[in-house]
Amino acid sequence: MKVIKIDKNEWADGVEKLHDNYRLIGAVREKSYHIFATLKPGQKPEMEYVNSRISPKYVIYPQSEIILECSMDENDEDYKVYHEPGDKNYEEKAVLGVRPCDADSLPLVRRNFDTDEYKDPYWLQAFETTTLVGLACDAPCPSCFCTSAGSGPYNDQNLDIMLVDNGDHYLAEILTDKGEKLAGAAGWDKDTEQGAEDSIEKRKTGAESKITSKVNTDNLANQSLLDLYDATIIWEKAAFACINCGTCTYACPTCWCFDVQDEVHGRQSYRIRNWDSCMYPLFTHHASGHNPRGTKLDRLRQRFMHKLKYYVDKYEDGIQCTGCGRCVSLCPVNIDIRRICNMMNSYDPESCTCEVTAS
Amino acid sequence: MKSYTEKIKEISKGLLEEGKVDMVIGYRKGSVPLMHQPFFAQNQQEIDEFVWDSNCGLNLANYVTDRQEKIGILATGCNSRNIATHIVEGKIKREQLYIIGIPCKGMLDRHKLAAMADGPITTVEEDEEKGTVTISGDGFSETVDKTEALQQNCSICVHRNPVIYDELVADEVKEQTRDEVDPYAGVKEIEAMSPEEKWAHFDDLLSACIRCYACRNACPLCYCPLCFVDESKPQWVGKSIDPTDVRTFHFLRAYHCAGRCTDCGACVRACPVGINVRDFTKKLEKDCFELYGWEAGMSTEQRPPLDTYKPDDPEEFIK
Amino acid sequence: MKNLLEHMGIEPERLHFSWISSAESTKFVDVATKVTEAVKSLENKEKKFVKTKPKVA
Repeated sequence: MKVIKIDKNEWADGVEKLHDNYRLIGAVREKSYHIFATLKPGQKPEMEYVNSRISPKYVIYPQSEIILECSMDENDEDYKVYHEPGDKNYEEKAVLGVRPCDADSLPLVRRNFDTDEYKDPYWLQAFETTTLVGLACDAPCPSCFCTSAGSGPYNDQNLDIMLVDNGDHYLAEILTDKGEKLAGAAGWDKDTEQGAEDSIEKRKTGAESKITSKVNTDNLANQSLLDLYDATIIWEKAAFACINCGTCTYACPTCWCFDVQDEVHGRQSYRIRNWDSCMYPLFTHHASGHNPRGTKLDRLRQRFMHKLKYYVDKYEDGIQCTGCGRCVSLCPVNIDIRRICNMMNSYDPESCTCEVTAS
Repeated sequence: MKSYTEKIKEISKGLLEEGKVDMVIGYRKGSVPLMHQPFFAQNQQEIDEFVWDSNCGLNLANYVTDRQEKIGILATGCNSRNIATHIVEGKIKREQLYIIGIPCKGMLDRHKLAAMADGPITTVEEDEEKGTVTISGDGFSETVDKTEALQQNCSICVHRNPVIYDELVADEVKEQTRDEVDPYAGVKEIEAMSPEEKWAHFDDLLSACIRCYACRNACPLCYCPLCFVDESKPQWVGKSIDPTDVRTFHFLRAYHCAGRCTDCGACVRACPVGINVRDFTKKLEKDCFELYGWEAGMSTEQRPPLDTYKPDDPEEFIK
Repeated sequence: MKNLLEHMGIEPERLHFSWISSAESTKFVDVATKVTEAVKSLENKEKKFVKTKPKVA
């Protein structure tokens, strides 16, 4: 790994140059919070935002996306023959200032879209053409718990470049070939002064120490699936409060479920993939009319069991969560994944009790 | 508010001990600021978790829909009006409920305060004597008048005391009158716009909508077993985030609430992206007041105006 | 119905309500002409609630 130094004015110049080769996506202010959006030439990404409202997963996996289309006109060659839309755009793009927790969600989501058996062409093409320029996070939110969820404010494992804000300049770790290429295109190549790596390390320790809330996950794999499933003490109160909206799932960087809908307009038919949410009554509603998750409790339990138990058991690689804290701060009825996770982790099936933490 | 909380606990204890109710619905303290959790208590340990302050802004009427138990429920002015609406619409029986009335002083606007703050808020403190609210976090602390920190629907509220209750937790608070506050100031601002400006205003309002349906699901009126947006045969409205479909969802939902909406603000409070959903619903609330002299949920006897026919119903729109 | 549609920016000329009995043929012609003229007067305005292709990714 190479570390270079990018003065902040060189950063701005480099970003301008990148417009020639990349579609640039960065955090911009939208009303009272930040979202990730395509930057126009001259527009600077905001780097000092505190967690975008909704995770930037939609850069690769849009909330609604036309995946197939066909004509409904008998005279056309593609009459009722679905094909990929001709205007799909997989140009090279770069996400500037993405946070490590959001980048760390991508390999988790990839497990759904890239298996030996099935490859999702839309997700994979979008992913492969994306270069991630991350910014190490020095100002975590009170609801963040990345350090205990397999991520961290300075986690560079899933970034192509990681920037570390060092006053008047960024220290940039060039982590992959994609990152190397982007740095080259931007003209960033200045060597760092002595001690750069030490100062990254020092800042990392400082940032990590700011994250005080955590989840305990060590015992999740040992718990019996059925015991957790039946643990009324975990689910009853949360399910009562839950209004079954999709806020948690739509804000989440690791939720991947989708639903496919057809729409016909005039003589054209479109097949659209939309994000789905396990909170919705139609989620897994069978054509027969039966729904294996027919109640609010079933649906709420599905979300947490998926992230914190089924996923843990299936992939043996930790939880399906990177601790970004969005669901914690956005849930309108304060269902807190940290609390649920700690309850699941500490559940004792003998006494049907668990440790309840404040957060 | 401490006195409210203590009184709530005391009443709840009595109700459960005497077996008058099977559960009491209130709030427990949330794990993040400005956000308490709707919660039901069935024993002393759970009663101890009850809390009441200016962060109880959802609508508890939403939690009694079609329930069979005997329920004690906390009810502010707007919440009690939605309970009355529920009774009229057959979603719960009056005999099932023991309504613990809460004279309400308004709820804090979590979106407004978050926008005011210079970073994530970690603590919120209310000084009841001074009438101020202090929000603080890492490196900042700001104190504002509570009147400025209130949800918009609360600052213009003219029914702060519950309209039906079995017992009050405190003396009634002074009501604001329509001379003191203009409940329709926001609506009038939009009414003064040209059609193009109005269209652009709502386009901008809904641009951030992610169709999570938090507004709909937080609303006690939205209890349909299958919402029109979820229906697929026929499919009334597309399910993507196409702007036409998003707008169709919002304005049709507003129609379904016409004459039933109490302007409780739960929809706005629940919205993760801070959309003022009330820009739709408040217009219909105003129309119902002006055309029919109707305010929703003021009694358990009368049915809402769009649910009934009277020969003298206004019909100026028919040419 | 009309009020909220107009409130969110649908031009008043687009939505009309009339009561016409089956015996009132002249009124029907009259109303139909007026409605058509009113809507035609908006020719150059942006079309609303007309979806030809979902505006999504």
